Amino acid sequence: MSEAQGALHSLVAEFDDVDGVSAAARAVRDAGYKAFDVYSPFPIHGIERSMGLRATRLPWLVLACGLTGTVLALFFQWWTNGHDYAFKISGKPLFGVPANIPITFEFTVLLAAFGAFFGMFVLNRLPEHHNPLFENERFRRATDDGFFLAIEARDAQFHERATRELLQSLTKHTVVACHESGESRALPVWVRASMAGAGALALVPLAAIVAARYRDSTQAPFHLIKDMDSQTRYRAQAANPFFADGRAQRPDVAGTVEFDRFRTDPALLTGRAGEAFVDQIPLSVTAELMQRGRTRFAVYCTPCHGGAGYGDGLVAQRAATLQEQAFVPPASLHDPLVRARPAGQIFDTIRNGVRSMPAYGRQMSIEDSWAIVAFVRALQRSQNASVEDVPDAERGRLGTR
Amino acid sequence: MSETLGTRSRRWSTLALVVGLAGLVLALVLGSARGDAFKRFEHSWLVSCLYFLSISLGGLFFVIIQHLVRAGWSVVVRRVAELVAANTPVTALLFAPLVVLLLRGDSGLWPWGDVAKVHASPLLEGKAAFLDARFFALRCVVYFGIWIFLGRWLLRRSLEQDGAQDAAPTLALERRAAPAMVAFALSINFAAFDILMTLNPTWASTIFGVCFFAGSMISFFALTVLLLRFLQRNALLGKAVRVEHYHDLGKFLFAFVFFWGYVSFSQFMLIWYADLPEETFWYRDRFHGTWLAVSWVLLLGHFVIPFAGLVSRHAKRRLWLLTFWAVWMLCMHALELFWLVMPGAEKDGALVSPVDFACFAAVGGIWFFALARLAGDKPLVPVNDPRLPESLAFENF
Repeated sequence: MSEAQGALHSLVAEFDDVDGVSAAARAVRDAGYKAFDVYSPFPIHGIERSMGLRATRLPWLVLACGLTGTVLALFFQWWTNGHDYAFKISGKPLFGVPANIPITFEFTVLLAAFGAFFGMFVLNRLPEHHNPLFENERFRRATDDGFFLAIEARDAQFHERATRELLQSLTKHTVVACHESGESRALPVWVRASMAGAGALALVPLAAIVAARYRDSTQAPFHLIKDMDSQTRYRAQAANPFFADGRAQRPDVAGTVEFDRFRTDPALLTGRAGEAFVDQIPLSVTAELMQRGRTRFAVYCTPCHGGAGYGDGLVAQRAATLQEQAFVPPASLHDPLVRARPAGQIFDTIRNGVRSMPAYGRQMSIEDSWAIVAFVRALQRSQNASVEDVPDAERGRLGTR
Repeated sequence: MSETLGTRSRRWSTLALVVGLAGLVLALVLGSARGDAFKRFEHSWLVSCLYFLSISLGGLFFVIIQHLVRAGWSVVVRRVAELVAANTPVTALLFAPLVVLLLRGDSGLWPWGDVAKVHASPLLEGKAAFLDARFFALRCVVYFGIWIFLGRWLLRRSLEQDGAQDAAPTLALERRAAPAMVAFALSINFAAFDILMTLNPTWASTIFGVCFFAGSMISFFALTVLLLRFLQRNALLGKAVRVEHYHDLGKFLFAFVFFWGYVSFSQFMLIWYADLPEETFWYRDRFHGTWLAVSWVLLLGHFVIPFAGLVSRHAKRRLWLLTFWAVWMLCMHALELFWLVMPGAEKDGALVSPVDFACFAAVGGIWFFALARLAGDKPLVPVNDPRLPESLAFENF
């Protein structure tokens, strides 16, 4: 023990067996010491009582973590599937408790295990990288056949001479003083730096996700799993040798009757009276029907015909950009030729297609087709309006512009 | 250490026999008074037989696994478990009348006893070879044969060790524990299918046997705690069994309470999610009328409440508290078997009848009579077991 050593850390007594160290622990406990520890090569039954240690709080920590897991898992399942993105699966309730139990159970176990594992580290003040006791050559026997008891100098009861006398009265070995050494207990700089670096790196994906949420992009989304890109299915007009007629697209089975639609009015069903097209929409044109036509038009017609019906939809624009020679541009709905067509003919075009325009009869109901006709009529009028079309009360406002 | 029941064996067995015989007479009188051709009596009798059978089966598993893993801590409580596990012949005798009735064409308990009914349903027609009274009786003989053989063998070898000069009997037990475990697992699983699941012959659940096993383990550990407490109250095993051993039995009890919840929920969730009419009807029967209340009581009382009650270390080490939970779980196990069997007789609601209690007293009395006689003058601790010192010195961390 040279003068170069630091402050007194602890006094260490060595014992030959379990009984000796246990008796010493009881004596030290009874003398009122708190900051002392017993070191042994193996766990000693009942040493916690001999040392007067209070029961560990770890079970409560585990319970709290487990319950946190239960609540979090249940809440998150309710929030994602039952609330924020309500999505019916297999006809089950949006928040069906039995279906949520497995995840709740797993998450409870996971957090409880985290609580036990990391809680044990924290309560044991681990990791501890250096302890002055390690400097003592004899102390290394604590992992082999030595039993030690060390009272630390930070204990309120600690008094170098009195404490040494107490310990010396308990053991036949010489009580040894242990001094603080120059070794730092902190982590080396490079370890701390790399931990900080790893922590910063771990934030990058999170930052990328947040950035992506608040930024528009013209790029196609990443497809990590390509199974939706190459589906094993047949395209509409493709050949399929499985069927006798070689067609992948199956026609209606002979005798098929449209379900629940036993209607006979030819004007309603075909848009014709005899050979000629009708000019009246055979449904009562209400605001509701118009609104329905507006949304159906947006879904089915705008891709080619454009939002205002000038034939400048995204498909047409892209064809123009690519200079597609074979592309037949969609008609403008405001062409005088189109405007002059009776309602029944527009209906017929929607249902059965014309030139390169496909038939939409299979995709939408009769009512929806007529609703689109009504909306197209309104659209046409809006683009060819005269002053007379504006109500008298509103006409004054036109002049101010 | 080499304590035996001695004269108490005769006294206690006589007492139990009186209760059993009185219960039997009462059950028969009450059962016939109902005028339902003993249908309700048969259901009650099955519940009671399975109750005490399951306790013995739990003991069988416990003893086998102690040998399988060469456990040291459990030696002082193993003899009691061996006695419980070896007490199956009396259960076979009590169960036999139900099989005899089935062989005579009775279909009050197992609906497939009516051959015409089996052939009328295409679903049952496909199982006709399996749902055959004589084949069923043969399978029951095999199951009980395995259990009686295993129970007696485990006890005999253990008693041999008591007077042996070396560890040969213990080594023999350890060597054969693995095949014994296989025989046990297969027999309890298929017995649960045969005896319990065929009460609804069109219904099937592959995990059903495991659920029955879980209930068996719970009732075994609960009864073992009570038996040890009872023996210690009567100045037996006082030095051998300590709180450390109760603590471990409590851990097992807790573990199997959770295991029961886990497997029972697994069965329920799959059926709930698949929502197939041929499976859901079994739960619909049990969610109907007052049966729904019983189902809730089971969920809470057989799993949630005892889980919370037994999770703490203190609950397992405070013996009055552990005893309370043991009694609680034994009651819940009876309710579970009632819930499994009785909807066959009481479709409209969970109606408890005096017949149930009389049958329980009859089977229980006779079962305890046999247990006390079996214990007789056998040492209640394996006195010469090579791991006895380890068990005596056992301490939990």
